[in-house]
Amino acid sequence: MPALVAQSLREYRRMLIGWTIGISVFMSIYIGIYANIKESPEVYGPAALAKYPGALKDLMGGLADFTSGPGFLQSVVYQLFVPMLFIACACGIGNRAIAQPEESGLLELTVTLPIERVRLLLQRFGAGLLGLLAAVALTYLLAWAIATNVGVGVPADRILAAHTGVFLLALFFGTLTLAVGAATGRKGLASAVAGVWTIGGYAVVTIGQNVSAISWLKWVSPFHYYLEGKPIYQGFPVGDYLVLAGATAVLLLTAALAFDRRDVGV
Amino acid sequence: MNGMTAVVEAEGLTKFYGQRRGLEDLDLAIQPGEVFGYLGPNGSGKTTTIRLLLDVIRPTRGRATVLGLDPGDAKVRARIGYLPGELALAGRERAGQYLRFLADARGGVAQARIDELAERLEADLSVPMGKLSKGNKQKVGLIQAFMHRPEFLILDEPTSGLDPLVQQEFLAMVREVRADGRTVLMSSHVLAEVEHVSDRVGIVRSGRLVAVEEVAALREKAVRRVELHFDAPVPPEAFEGLPGVRDLRAAGASVTCTIDGRPDALIKAAARFTVVHLVSAEPDLEEIFLTYYSGEEDQHARVGSAKPA
Ligand SMILES: Nc1ncnc2c1ncn2[C@@H]1O[C@H](COP(=O)(O)OP(=O)(O)O)[C@@H](O)[C@H]1O
Ligand SMILES: [Mg+2]
Repeated sequence: MPALVAQSLREYRRMLIGWTIGISVFMSIYIGIYANIKESPEVYGPAALAKYPGALKDLMGGLADFTSGPGFLQSVVYQLFVPMLFIACACGIGNRAIAQPEESGLLELTVTLPIERVRLLLQRFGAGLLGLLAAVALTYLLAWAIATNVGVGVPADRILAAHTGVFLLALFFGTLTLAVGAATGRKGLASAVAGVWTIGGYAVVTIGQNVSAISWLKWVSPFHYYLEGKPIYQGFPVGDYLVLAGATAVLLLTAALAFDRRDVGV
Repeated sequence: MNGMTAVVEAEGLTKFYGQRRGLEDLDLAIQPGEVFGYLGPNGSGKTTTIRLLLDVIRPTRGRATVLGLDPGDAKVRARIGYLPGELALAGRERAGQYLRFLADARGGVAQARIDELAERLEADLSVPMGKLSKGNKQKVGLIQAFMHRPEFLILDEPTSGLDPLVQQEFLAMVREVRADGRTVLMSSHVLAEVEHVSDRVGIVRSGRLVAVEEVAALREKAVRRVELHFDAPVPPEAFEGLPGVRDLRAAGASVTCTIDGRPDALIKAAARFTVVHLVSAEPDLEEIFLTYYSGEEDQHARVGSAKPA
Protein backbone atom coordinates (compact mmCIF):
# COMPACT_ATOMS: atom_id res chain seq x y z
CA MET A 1 0.00 0.00 0.00
CA PRO A 2 1.44 3.44 -0.88
CA ALA A 3 2.82 5.24 2.16
CA LEU A 4 0.37 8.11 1.77
CA VAL A 5 -2.66 5.79 1.68
CA ALA A 6 -1.52 4.08 4.87
CA GLN A 7 -0.83 7.43 6.51
CA SER A 8 -4.21 8.81 5.43
CA LEU A 9 -5.96 5.77 6.86
CA ARG A 10 -4.21 6.40 10.16
CA GLU A 11 -5.44 9.97 10.06
CA TYR A 12 -9.04 8.97 9.33
CA ARG A 13 -9.05 6.02 11.70
CA ARG A 14 -10.37 7.62 14.85
CA MET A 15 -13.15 9.37 13.03
CA LEU A 16 -14.15 6.19 11.20
CA ILE A 17 -14.15 4.13 14.36
CA GLY A 18 -16.24 6.74 16.15
CA TRP A 19 -18.88 6.87 13.43
CA THR A 20 -18.94 3.09 13.03
CA ILE A 21 -19.59 2.65 16.72
CA GLY A 22 -22.25 5.37 16.71
CA ILE A 23 -24.07 3.95 13.70
CA SER A 24 -23.83 0.43 15.13
CA VAL A 25 -25.35 1.52 18.41
CA PHE A 26 -28.13 3.33 16.55
CA MET A 27 -28.91 0.28 14.44
CA SER A 28 -28.78 -2.12 17.36
CA ILE A 29 -31.30 -0.10 19.32
CA TYR A 30 -33.66 0.71 16.48
CA ILE A 31 -33.70 -2.57 14.62
CA GLY A 32 -34.08 -4.25 18.00
CA ILE A 33 -37.31 -2.32 18.59
CA TYR A 34 -38.86 -4.28 15.78
CA ALA A 35 -39.22 -7.23 18.14
CA ASN A 36 -41.86 -5.25 20.09
CA ILE A 37 -43.62 -3.99 16.99
CA LYS A 38 -43.86 -7.45 15.55
CA GLU A 39 -45.54 -8.64 18.73
CA SER A 40 -48.16 -5.93 18.82
CA PRO A 41 -48.47 -4.25 15.42
CA GLU A 42 -51.96 -2.96 16.28
CA VAL A 43 -50.40 -0.74 18.96
CA TYR A 44 -47.45 0.58 16.99
CA GLY A 45 -48.93 0.93 13.55
CA PRO A 46 -51.73 3.44 14.27
CA ALA A 47 -49.73 4.98 17.08
CA ALA A 48 -46.83 5.73 14.79
CA LEU A 49 -49.04 7.21 12.15
CA ALA A 50 -51.07 9.30 14.56
CA LYS A 51 -47.98 10.71 16.17
CA TYR A 52 -46.68 12.40 13.06
CA PRO A 53 -48.28 15.28 11.15
CA GLY A 54 -48.56 14.79 7.40
CA ALA A 55 -45.49 16.76 6.40
CA LEU A 56 -43.35 14.98 8.91
CA LYS A 57 -44.70 11.67 7.68
CA ASP A 58 -43.63 12.67 4.18
CA LEU A 59 -40.24 13.57 5.53
CA MET A 60 -39.95 10.11 7.01
CA GLY A 61 -40.75 8.58 3.65
CA GLY A 62 -44.47 8.11 4.28
CA LEU A 63 -44.25 5.64 7.17
CA ALA A 64 -46.58 3.38 5.24
CA ASP A 65 -46.37 -0.25 6.06
CA PHE A 66 -44.51 0.61 9.22
CA THR A 67 -45.41 -2.56 11.03
CA SER A 68 -44.14 -4.91 8.35
CA GLY A 69 -40.51 -5.98 8.46
CA PRO A 70 -39.37 -4.26 5.25
CA GLY A 71 -41.50 -1.19 5.98
CA PHE A 72 -39.99 -0.86 9.40
CA LEU A 73 -36.43 -1.33 8.20
CA GLN A 74 -36.95 1.20 5.44
CA SER A 75 -38.63 3.84 7.62
CA VAL A 76 -36.49 3.64 10.70
CA VAL A 77 -33.09 2.67 9.35
CA TYR A 78 -32.65 3.17 5.63
CA GLN A 79 -34.94 6.11 4.92
CA LEU A 80 -33.25 8.92 6.79
CA PHE A 81 -31.13 8.22 9.80
CA VAL A 82 -28.48 5.78 8.62
CA PRO A 83 -27.96 7.57 5.30
CA MET A 84 -27.57 10.88 7.11
CA LEU A 85 -25.15 9.45 9.63
CA PHE A 86 -23.03 7.92 6.88
CA ILE A 87 -23.15 11.10 4.85
CA ALA A 88 -21.91 13.09 7.84
CA CYS A 89 -19.11 10.59 8.35
CA ALA A 90 -18.11 10.68 4.68
CA CYS A 91 -18.17 14.48 4.56
CA GLY A 92 -15.94 14.56 7.61
CA ILE A 93 -13.43 12.36 5.83
CA GLY A 94 -13.86 14.38 2.64
CA ASN A 95 -12.74 17.46 4.53
CA ARG A 96 -9.92 15.67 6.25
CA ALA A 97 -8.46 14.69 2.91
CA ILE A 98 -7.44 18.17 1.75
CA ALA A 99 -9.17 21.26 3.11
CA GLN A 100 -8.73 20.62 6.81
CA PRO A 101 -5.00 19.83 6.74
CA GLU A 102 -4.56 22.66 4.28
CA GLU A 103 -6.17 25.18 6.62
CA SER A 104 -4.11 23.97 9.53
CA GLY A 105 -0.90 24.00 7.47
CA LEU A 106 -0.39 20.25 7.70
CA LEU A 107 -0.70 19.76 3.96
CA GLU A 108 2.41 21.81 3.20
CA LEU A 109 4.82 18.94 3.79
CA THR A 110 2.57 16.46 2.01
CA VAL A 111 2.39 18.49 -1.22
CA THR A 112 6.16 18.87 -1.23
CA LEU A 113 6.72 15.11 -1.21
CA PRO A 114 7.69 13.62 -4.55
CA ILE A 115 4.07 12.75 -5.35
CA GLU A 116 2.15 14.48 -8.15
CA ARG A 117 -0.81 16.50 -7.00
CA VAL A 118 -3.34 14.33 -8.83
CA ARG A 119 -1.89 11.18 -7.36
CA LEU A 120 -1.82 12.76 -3.92
CA LEU A 121 -5.51 13.59 -4.12
CA LEU A 122 -6.40 10.15 -5.47
CA GLN A 123 -4.49 8.47 -2.65
CA ARG A 124 -6.19 10.63 -0.03
CA PHE A 125 -9.50 9.71 -1.67
CA GLY A 126 -8.54 6.04 -1.93
CA ALA A 127 -7.82 5.84 1.78
CA GLY A 128 -11.18 7.46 2.54
CA LEU A 129 -12.89 5.02 0.20
CA LEU A 130 -11.26 2.05 1.91
CA GLY A 131 -12.17 3.37 5.33
CA LEU A 132 -15.76 4.03 4.35
CA LEU A 133 -16.01 0.58 2.77
CA ALA A 134 -14.82 -0.99 5.99
CA ALA A 135 -17.38 0.95 8.03
CA VAL A 136 -20.14 0.03 5.57
CA ALA A 137 -19.16 -3.65 5.55
CA LEU A 138 -19.13 -3.89 9.33
CA THR A 139 -22.45 -2.13 9.76
CA TYR A 140 -23.97 -4.25 6.99
CA LEU A 141 -23.03 -7.43 8.83
CA LEU A 142 -24.45 -5.99 12.02
CA ALA A 143 -27.69 -4.88 10.35
CA TRP A 144 -28.11 -8.28 8.78
CA ALA A 145 -27.37 -10.11 12.05
CA ILE A 146 -29.82 -8.06 14.12
CA ALA A 147 -32.50 -8.08 11.44
CA THR A 148 -32.26 -11.86 11.24
CA ASN A 149 -32.25 -12.14 14.99
CA VAL A 150 -35.45 -10.15 15.53
CA GLY A 151 -37.09 -11.64 12.48
CA VAL A 152 -37.50 -8.59 10.28
CA GLY A 153 -37.90 -10.93 7.37
CA VAL A 154 -35.86 -9.03 4.80
CA PRO A 155 -33.41 -11.21 2.89
CA ALA A 156 -29.70 -10.50 3.16
CA ASP A 157 -29.40 -9.39 -0.46
CA ARG A 158 -32.11 -6.73 0.00
CA ILE A 159 -30.34 -5.36 3.05
CA LEU A 160 -27.14 -5.40 1.02
CA ALA A 161 -28.88 -3.50 -1.75
CA ALA A 162 -30.00 -0.78 0.67
CA HIS A 163 -26.67 -0.69 2.41
CA THR A 164 -24.89 -0.34 -0.91
CA GLY A 165 -27.14 2.59 -1.70
CA VAL A 166 -26.23 4.23 1.60
CA PHE A 167 -22.57 3.69 0.75
CA LEU A 168 -22.96 5.28 -2.68
CA LEU A 169 -24.87 8.23 -1.25
CA ALA A 170 -22.25 8.78 1.42
CA LEU A 171 -19.48 8.41 -1.13
CA PHE A 172 -21.15 10.97 -3.37
CA PHE A 173 -21.42 13.58 -0.63
CA GLY A 174 -17.99 12.79 0.77
CA THR A 175 -16.50 13.24 -2.68
CA LEU A 176 -18.47 16.46 -3.10
CA THR A 177 -16.96 17.76 0.13
CA LEU A 178 -13.53 16.65 -1.04
CA ALA A 179 -14.04 18.36 -4.40
CA VAL A 180 -15.11 21.72 -2.96
CA GLY A 181 -12.27 21.53 -0.45
CA ALA A 182 -9.76 20.54 -3.11
CA ALA A 183 -10.88 23.35 -5.39
CA THR A 184 -11.00 26.08 -2.74
CA GLY A 185 -9.06 24.90 0.30
CA ARG A 186 -11.98 25.99 2.50
CA LYS A 187 -13.47 23.33 4.70
CA GLY A 188 -16.30 25.54 5.94
CA LEU A 189 -17.42 26.17 2.38
CA ALA A 190 -17.12 22.47 1.55
CA SER A 191 -19.28 21.52 4.54
CA ALA A 192 -21.83 24.19 3.66
CA VAL A 193 -22.17 23.05 0.06
CA ALA A 194 -22.48 19.40 1.07
CA GLY A 195 -24.92 20.24 3.87
CA VAL A 196 -27.21 22.34 1.70
CA TRP A 197 -27.19 19.76 -1.11
CA THR A 198 -27.89 16.95 1.35
CA ILE A 199 -30.78 18.62 3.14
CA GLY A 200 -32.19 20.21 0.00
CA GLY A 201 -31.82 16.98 -1.93
CA TYR A 202 -33.61 15.00 0.73
CA ALA A 203 -36.39 17.55 1.10
CA VAL A 204 -36.99 17.61 -2.65
CA VAL A 205 -37.62 13.86 -2.87
CA THR A 206 -39.79 13.71 0.26
CA ILE A 207 -41.88 16.73 1.22
CA GLY A 208 -41.17 18.38 -2.12
CA GLN A 209 -42.24 15.54 -4.36
CA ASN A 210 -45.81 16.75 -4.62
CA VAL A 211 -44.91 20.38 -5.18
CA SER A 212 -44.79 20.54 -8.94
CA ALA A 213 -42.75 23.74 -9.00
CA ILE A 214 -39.77 21.98 -7.48
CA SER A 215 -40.41 18.33 -8.17
CA TRP A 216 -38.13 18.41 -11.24
CA LEU A 217 -35.26 19.14 -8.82
CA LYS A 218 -35.35 15.48 -7.85
CA TRP A 219 -33.12 14.81 -10.85
CA VAL A 220 -30.26 16.61 -9.11
CA SER A 221 -30.99 15.02 -5.77
CA PRO A 222 -28.72 12.05 -5.06
CA PHE A 223 -31.45 10.70 -2.77
CA HIS A 224 -33.69 10.19 -5.76
CA TYR A 225 -31.28 7.59 -7.11
CA TYR A 226 -31.29 5.80 -3.79
CA LEU A 227 -34.90 5.95 -2.63
CA GLU A 228 -36.73 5.72 -5.92
CA GLY A 229 -35.72 2.13 -6.56
CA LYS A 230 -36.85 0.94 -3.08
CA PRO A 231 -33.87 -1.39 -2.62
CA ILE A 232 -35.29 -2.94 0.56
CA TYR A 233 -38.30 -4.13 -1.43
CA GLN A 234 -36.93 -4.56 -4.91
CA GLY A 235 -33.20 -5.18 -4.59
CA PHE A 236 -30.46 -3.34 -6.45
CA PRO A 237 -31.63 -0.44 -8.63
CA VAL A 238 -28.58 -0.92 -10.81
CA GLY A 239 -29.16 1.98 -13.17
CA ASP A 240 -29.77 4.47 -10.38
CA TYR A 241 -26.71 3.31 -8.49
CA LEU A 242 -24.61 3.68 -11.61
CA VAL A 243 -25.79 7.28 -11.86
CA LEU A 244 -24.60 7.88 -8.29
CA ALA A 245 -21.28 6.19 -8.95
CA GLY A 246 -20.82 8.09 -12.21
CA ALA A 247 -21.57 11.43 -10.56
CA THR A 248 -19.05 10.59 -7.87
CA ALA A 249 -16.43 9.81 -10.50
CA VAL A 250 -17.08 13.17 -12.15
CA LEU A 251 -16.69 14.93 -8.80
CA LEU A 252 -13.45 13.09 -8.15
CA LEU A 253 -12.06 14.04 -11.51
CA THR A 254 -13.05 17.66 -10.91
CA ALA A 255 -11.38 17.53 -7.51
CA ALA A 256 -8.14 16.19 -8.96
CA LEU A 257 -8.00 18.70 -11.81
CA ALA A 258 -8.88 21.66 -9.58
CA PHE A 259 -6.33 20.69 -6.94
CA ASP A 260 -3.65 20.23 -9.57
CA ARG A 261 -4.02 23.80 -10.81
CA ARG A 262 -4.24 25.63 -7.56
CA ASP A 263 -2.03 27.41 -5.04
CA VAL A 264 -2.02 25.46 -1.80
CA GLY A 265 -2.32 27.14 1.58
CA VAL A 266 -2.90 30.73 0.46
CA MET B 1 29.53 29.70 -15.08
CA ASN B 2 31.15 26.45 -14.06
CA GLY B 3 29.43 24.35 -16.65
CA MET B 4 26.99 22.84 -14.19
CA THR B 5 23.31 23.63 -14.20
CA ALA B 6 22.29 26.19 -11.63
CA VAL B 7 20.37 24.68 -8.72
CA VAL B 8 17.90 27.54 -8.83
CA GLU B 9 17.38 29.75 -11.81
CA ALA B 10 14.64 32.34 -11.61
CA GLU B 11 13.75 34.83 -14.31
CA GLY B 12 11.24 37.54 -13.70
CA LEU B 13 9.60 35.32 -11.12
CA THR B 14 6.54 37.13 -9.86
CA LYS B 15 3.70 36.29 -7.51
CA PHE B 16 0.72 38.46 -6.70
CA TYR B 17 -1.88 37.36 -4.21
CA GLY B 18 -4.77 39.14 -5.86
CA GLN B 19 -3.67 42.77 -5.77
CA ARG B 20 -1.12 42.10 -3.10
CA ARG B 21 2.49 41.79 -4.12
CA GLY B 22 4.25 38.73 -2.78
CA LEU B 23 7.29 38.78 -5.05
CA GLU B 24 8.10 40.74 -8.18
CA ASP B 25 10.60 40.15 -10.95
CA LEU B 26 13.00 37.94 -9.12
CA ASP B 27 16.11 37.13 -11.11
CA LEU B 28 18.34 34.79 -9.22
CA ALA B 29 20.77 31.97 -9.79
CA ILE B 30 22.02 29.70 -7.04
CA GLN B 31 25.01 27.60 -7.96
CA PRO B 32 25.68 24.00 -6.93
CA GLY B 33 27.51 23.70 -3.65
CA GLU B 34 26.75 27.13 -2.30
CA VAL B 35 24.89 28.11 0.83
CA PHE B 36 22.63 30.98 -0.05
CA GLY B 37 21.18 33.10 2.74
CA TYR B 38 17.91 34.73 1.82
CA LEU B 39 17.34 37.70 4.02
CA GLY B 40 14.51 40.09 4.53
CA PRO B 41 12.16 41.43 7.16
CA ASN B 42 8.80 39.77 7.74
CA GLY B 43 6.49 40.06 4.79
CA SER B 44 9.27 40.75 2.30
CA GLY B 45 8.61 37.70 0.12
CA LYS B 46 10.97 34.99 1.35
CA THR B 47 8.31 32.36 1.96
CA THR B 48 6.61 33.30 -1.31
CA THR B 49 9.85 32.64 -3.20
CA ILE B 50 10.41 29.33 -1.47
CA ARG B 51 6.87 28.11 -2.01
CA LEU B 52 7.17 29.00 -5.69
CA LEU B 53 10.33 26.90 -5.97
CA LEU B 54 8.48 23.96 -4.42
CA ASP B 55 5.41 24.31 -6.62
CA VAL B 56 3.17 24.83 -3.60
CA ILE B 57 2.07 28.05 -5.27
CA ARG B 58 2.31 29.02 -8.94
CA PRO B 59 3.89 32.14 -10.37
CA THR B 60 1.76 34.99 -11.68
CA ARG B 61 4.45 35.40 -14.33
CA GLY B 62 8.08 34.60 -14.89
CA ARG B 63 9.69 31.23 -14.52
CA ALA B 64 11.98 29.21 -12.35
CA THR B 65 13.84 25.96 -12.65
CA VAL B 66 15.06 23.90 -9.75
CA LEU B 67 17.88 21.42 -10.31
CA GLY B 68 17.39 22.10 -13.99
CA LEU B 69 13.77 21.00 -13.99
CA ASP B 70 10.35 22.60 -13.75
CA PRO B 71 9.32 22.82 -10.07
CA GLY B 72 6.02 21.16 -11.03
CA ASP B 73 7.84 17.95 -11.80
CA ALA B 74 7.40 15.68 -8.77
CA LYS B 75 10.77 14.06 -9.45
CA VAL B 76 12.49 17.30 -8.46
CA ARG B 77 10.97 17.19 -5.02
CA ALA B 78 12.59 13.82 -4.35
CA ARG B 79 15.93 15.62 -4.51
CA ILE B 80 14.91 18.47 -2.22
CA GLY B 81 14.65 18.65 1.55
CA TYR B 82 12.25 21.33 2.72
CA LEU B 83 11.62 22.93 6.06
CA PRO B 84 8.49 25.10 5.92
CA GLY B 85 8.54 28.49 7.60
CA GLU B 86 5.42 27.78 9.55
CA LEU B 87 5.76 24.11 10.24
CA ALA B 88 2.47 22.61 11.36
CA LEU B 89 2.57 19.30 13.19
CA ALA B 90 -0.49 18.21 15.08
CA GLY B 91 -2.50 15.28 16.30
CA ARG B 92 -1.94 12.25 18.45
CA GLU B 93 0.50 10.63 16.10
CA ARG B 94 3.99 10.28 17.45
CA ALA B 95 6.69 12.31 15.76
CA GLY B 96 8.65 9.13 15.02
CA GLN B 97 5.72 7.56 13.22
CA TYR B 98 5.20 10.67 11.13
CA LEU B 99 8.87 10.76 10.17
CA ARG B 100 8.57 7.10 9.20
CA PHE B 101 5.73 8.02 6.85
CA LEU B 102 7.69 10.88 5.27
CA ALA B 103 10.68 8.57 4.88
CA ASP B 104 8.57 5.88 3.20
CA ALA B 105 6.87 8.41 0.95
CA ARG B 106 10.34 9.51 -0.14
CA GLY B 107 11.19 5.98 -1.13
CA GLY B 108 12.72 4.85 2.14
CA VAL B 109 15.24 6.25 4.58
CA ALA B 110 16.97 3.97 7.05
CA GLN B 111 15.56 4.23 10.57
CA ALA B 112 19.14 4.48 11.82
CA ARG B 113 19.54 7.72 9.88
CA ILE B 114 16.43 9.21 11.49
CA ASP B 115 17.58 8.08 14.93
CA GLU B 116 21.02 9.52 14.38
CA LEU B 117 19.60 12.94 13.50
CA ALA B 118 17.16 12.80 16.41
CA GLU B 119 20.01 12.07 18.76
CA ARG B 120 22.09 14.83 17.32
CA LEU B 121 19.35 17.41 17.78
CA GLU B 122 18.15 15.84 21.02
CA ALA B 123 14.66 15.40 19.71
CA ASP B 124 12.27 13.10 21.52
CA LEU B 125 10.37 11.27 18.79
CA SER B 126 8.04 9.39 21.12
CA VAL B 127 6.01 12.51 21.87
CA PRO B 128 2.65 12.99 20.11
CA MET B 129 3.08 15.77 17.59
CA GLY B 130 0.34 17.90 19.05
CA LYS B 131 2.26 18.03 22.30
CA LEU B 132 5.62 19.05 20.86
CA SER B 133 6.99 22.43 21.88
CA LYS B 134 7.84 24.95 19.16
CA GLY B 135 11.51 24.07 19.41
CA ASN B 136 10.84 20.35 19.20
CA LYS B 137 8.58 20.78 16.20
CA GLN B 138 11.38 22.64 14.51
CA LYS B 139 13.72 19.73 15.28
CA VAL B 140 11.31 17.26 13.70
CA GLY B 141 11.13 19.61 10.72
CA LEU B 142 14.90 19.65 10.43
CA ILE B 143 15.14 15.88 10.67
CA GLN B 144 12.68 15.37 7.83
CA ALA B 145 14.46 17.96 5.71
CA PHE B 146 17.92 16.44 6.18
CA MET B 147 17.18 12.73 6.52
CA HIS B 148 17.23 11.69 2.87
CA ARG B 149 20.48 13.60 2.22
CA PRO B 150 18.90 15.76 -0.47
CA GLU B 151 20.97 17.49 -3.11
CA PHE B 152 19.22 20.74 -2.32
CA LEU B 153 17.97 21.92 1.06
CA ILE B 154 15.39 24.69 1.23
CA LEU B 155 15.03 25.92 4.77
CA ASP B 156 12.56 28.69 5.60
CA GLU B 157 13.64 30.42 8.81
CA PRO B 158 15.27 27.24 10.12
CA THR B 159 16.64 28.67 13.33
CA SER B 160 13.41 30.14 14.64
CA GLY B 161 12.46 28.52 17.92
CA LEU B 162 15.74 26.65 18.35
CA ASP B 163 17.75 27.20 21.47
CA PRO B 164 21.35 28.35 20.96
CA LEU B 165 22.98 24.95 21.41
CA VAL B 166 20.70 23.32 18.88
CA GLN B 167 21.27 26.28 16.57
CA GLN B 168 24.98 25.52 16.66
CA GLU B 169 24.33 21.87 15.89
CA PHE B 170 22.09 22.89 13.03
CA LEU B 171 24.75 25.20 11.61
CA ALA B 172 27.21 22.32 11.82
CA MET B 173 24.79 20.19 9.83
CA VAL B 174 24.57 22.91 7.18
CA ARG B 175 28.36 23.08 6.97
CA GLU B 176 28.48 19.31 6.47
CA VAL B 177 25.99 19.59 3.66
CA ARG B 178 28.16 22.21 2.03
CA ALA B 179 31.27 20.09 2.54
CA ASP B 180 29.44 17.33 0.62
CA GLY B 181 29.02 19.74 -2.26
CA ARG B 182 25.27 19.95 -1.76
CA THR B 183 23.35 23.21 -1.96
CA VAL B 184 21.37 25.13 0.66
CA LEU B 185 18.90 27.98 0.41
CA MET B 186 17.99 29.29 3.82
CA SER B 187 15.92 32.30 4.73
CA SER B 188 16.09 34.44 7.80
CA HIS B 189 15.21 37.89 8.93
CA VAL B 190 18.42 38.13 10.94
CA LEU B 191 21.76 38.27 9.17
CA ALA B 192 23.54 37.00 12.26
CA GLU B 193 21.73 33.68 11.92
CA VAL B 194 22.99 32.95 8.44
CA GLU B 195 26.17 34.94 7.95
CA HIS B 196 28.44 32.33 9.49
CA VAL B 197 27.40 29.59 7.10
CA SER B 198 26.36 31.47 3.99
CA ASP B 199 28.57 32.08 1.00
CA ARG B 200 26.24 34.64 -0.45
CA VAL B 201 23.19 36.42 0.78
CA GLY B 202 20.33 37.94 -1.12
CA ILE B 203 18.37 40.72 0.47
CA VAL B 204 14.71 40.87 -0.38
CA ARG B 205 12.46 43.67 0.59
CA SER B 206 8.82 44.41 -0.24
CA GLY B 207 8.84 41.61 -2.75
CA ARG B 208 11.96 42.70 -4.58
CA LEU B 209 15.47 41.36 -4.46
CA VAL B 210 17.47 44.49 -3.70
CA ALA B 211 20.95 43.04 -3.40
CA VAL B 212 22.96 39.88 -3.72
CA GLU B 213 26.30 40.01 -1.98
CA GLU B 214 29.14 37.79 -0.97
CA VAL B 215 28.92 37.57 2.80
CA ALA B 216 32.43 38.89 3.22
CA ALA B 217 31.57 41.99 1.18
CA LEU B 218 28.35 42.51 3.08
CA ARG B 219 30.10 42.37 6.38
CA GLU B 220 32.41 45.11 5.24
CA LYS B 221 29.44 47.27 4.44
CA ALA B 222 27.55 46.44 7.58
CA VAL B 223 26.92 49.05 10.19
CA ARG B 224 28.14 48.04 13.57
CA ARG B 225 27.45 49.72 16.86
CA VAL B 226 30.56 49.89 18.98
CA GLU B 227 31.04 50.91 22.57
CA LEU B 228 34.48 51.56 24.01
CA HIS B 229 35.25 52.03 27.70
CA PHE B 230 38.54 53.46 28.88
CA ASP B 231 40.26 53.63 32.21
CA ALA B 232 40.12 57.44 32.15
CA PRO B 233 38.15 60.14 30.32
CA VAL B 234 39.24 60.55 26.71
CA PRO B 235 39.25 63.70 24.53
CA PRO B 236 36.35 63.44 22.02
CA GLU B 237 38.50 65.09 19.35
CA ALA B 238 40.62 61.96 19.22
CA PHE B 239 37.70 60.13 17.59
CA GLU B 240 36.27 62.84 15.41
CA GLY B 241 36.53 62.66 11.68
CA LEU B 242 37.58 59.02 11.55
CA PRO B 243 36.66 57.37 8.26
CA GLY B 244 33.53 55.25 8.55
CA VAL B 245 32.71 56.39 12.08
CA ARG B 246 29.34 58.00 12.62
CA ASP B 247 26.96 58.99 15.41
CA LEU B 248 29.90 59.55 17.68
CA ARG B 249 29.14 60.19 21.34
CA ALA B 250 32.04 60.63 23.69
CA ALA B 251 31.16 61.11 27.32
CA GLY B 252 33.81 60.85 30.00
CA ALA B 253 35.53 57.53 29.79
CA SER B 254 33.31 56.00 27.16
CA VAL B 255 32.78 56.38 23.44
CA THR B 256 29.89 55.00 21.44
CA CYS B 257 29.51 55.17 17.72
CA THR B 258 28.47 53.22 14.67
CA ILE B 259 30.99 52.12 12.13
CA ASP B 260 30.58 51.48 8.48
CA GLY B 261 32.59 48.57 7.26
CA ARG B 262 36.02 48.10 8.69
CA PRO B 263 36.66 49.03 12.31
CA ASP B 264 40.30 49.66 11.56
CA ALA B 265 40.47 53.46 12.02
CA LEU B 266 38.50 53.35 15.24
CA ILE B 267 40.66 50.62 16.71
CA LYS B 268 43.80 52.54 15.87
CA ALA B 269 42.43 55.70 17.46
CA ALA B 270 41.37 53.82 20.57
CA ALA B 271 44.73 52.12 20.86
CA ARG B 272 46.26 55.35 22.09
CA PHE B 273 44.28 54.99 25.32
CA THR B 274 43.75 52.14 27.73
CA VAL B 275 40.71 50.18 26.67
CA VAL B 276 39.07 48.35 29.57
CA HIS B 277 35.97 47.11 27.80
CA LEU B 278 34.79 46.77 24.22
CA VAL B 279 31.28 45.97 23.04
CA SER B 280 30.61 45.39 19.39
CA ALA B 281 27.03 44.49 18.59
CA GLU B 282 26.37 42.18 15.67
CA PRO B 283 25.31 44.35 12.78
CA ASP B 284 21.64 43.84 12.19
CA LEU B 285 19.94 43.69 8.89
CA GLU B 286 17.74 46.65 9.57
CA GLU B 287 20.78 48.85 9.85
CA ILE B 288 22.24 47.56 6.62
CA PHE B 289 19.00 48.48 4.96
CA LEU B 290 19.07 51.93 6.46
CA THR B 291 22.58 52.54 5.27
CA TYR B 292 22.55 51.02 1.82
CA TYR B 293 19.03 51.05 0.63
CA SER B 294 17.80 54.25 2.20
CA GLY B 295 17.65 56.10 -1.09
CA GLU B 296 14.67 56.60 -3.30
CA GLU B 297 13.43 53.11 -2.94
CA ASP B 298 13.06 53.50 0.76
CA GLN B 299 11.02 56.65 0.27
CA HIS B 300 8.71 54.79 -2.06
CA ALA B 301 8.37 51.93 0.31
CA ARG B 302 7.43 54.22 3.15
CA VAL B 303 4.95 56.21 1.09
CA GLY B 304 3.56 52.96 -0.28
CA SER B 305 3.00 51.41 3.09
CA ALA B 306 1.44 54.58 4.46
CA LYS B 307 -1.35 54.43 1.89
CA PRO B 308 -4.63 53.06 3.16
CA ALA B 309 -5.09 49.48 2.03
N1 LIG C 1 -1.69 33.79 1.19
C1 LIG C 1 -1.46 35.09 1.05
N2 LIG C 1 -2.46 35.93 0.71
C2 LIG C 1 -2.23 37.25 0.56
N3 LIG C 1 -1.05 37.84 0.75
C3 LIG C 1 -0.02 37.06 1.10
C4 LIG C 1 -0.17 35.66 1.28
N4 LIG C 1 1.02 35.14 1.62
C5 LIG C 1 1.88 36.19 1.67
N5 LIG C 1 1.25 37.33 1.36
C6 LIG C 1 1.86 38.66 1.29
O1 LIG C 1 2.99 38.60 0.47
C7 LIG C 1 4.05 39.34 1.04
C8 LIG C 1 5.25 38.43 1.25
O2 LIG C 1 4.93 37.46 2.22
P1 LIG C 1 5.91 36.28 2.59
O3 LIG C 1 6.45 35.69 1.35
O4 LIG C 1 5.20 35.38 3.52
O5 LIG C 1 7.07 37.07 3.36
P2 LIG C 1 8.19 36.54 4.34
O6 LIG C 1 8.28 35.07 4.26
O7 LIG C 1 9.42 37.23 3.85
O8 LIG C 1 7.82 37.00 5.71
C9 LIG C 1 3.51 39.93 2.33
O9 LIG C 1 3.09 41.24 2.06
C10 LIG C 1 2.35 39.08 2.65
O10 LIG C 1 1.37 39.80 3.35
MG1 LIG D 1 8.12 33.72 5.87
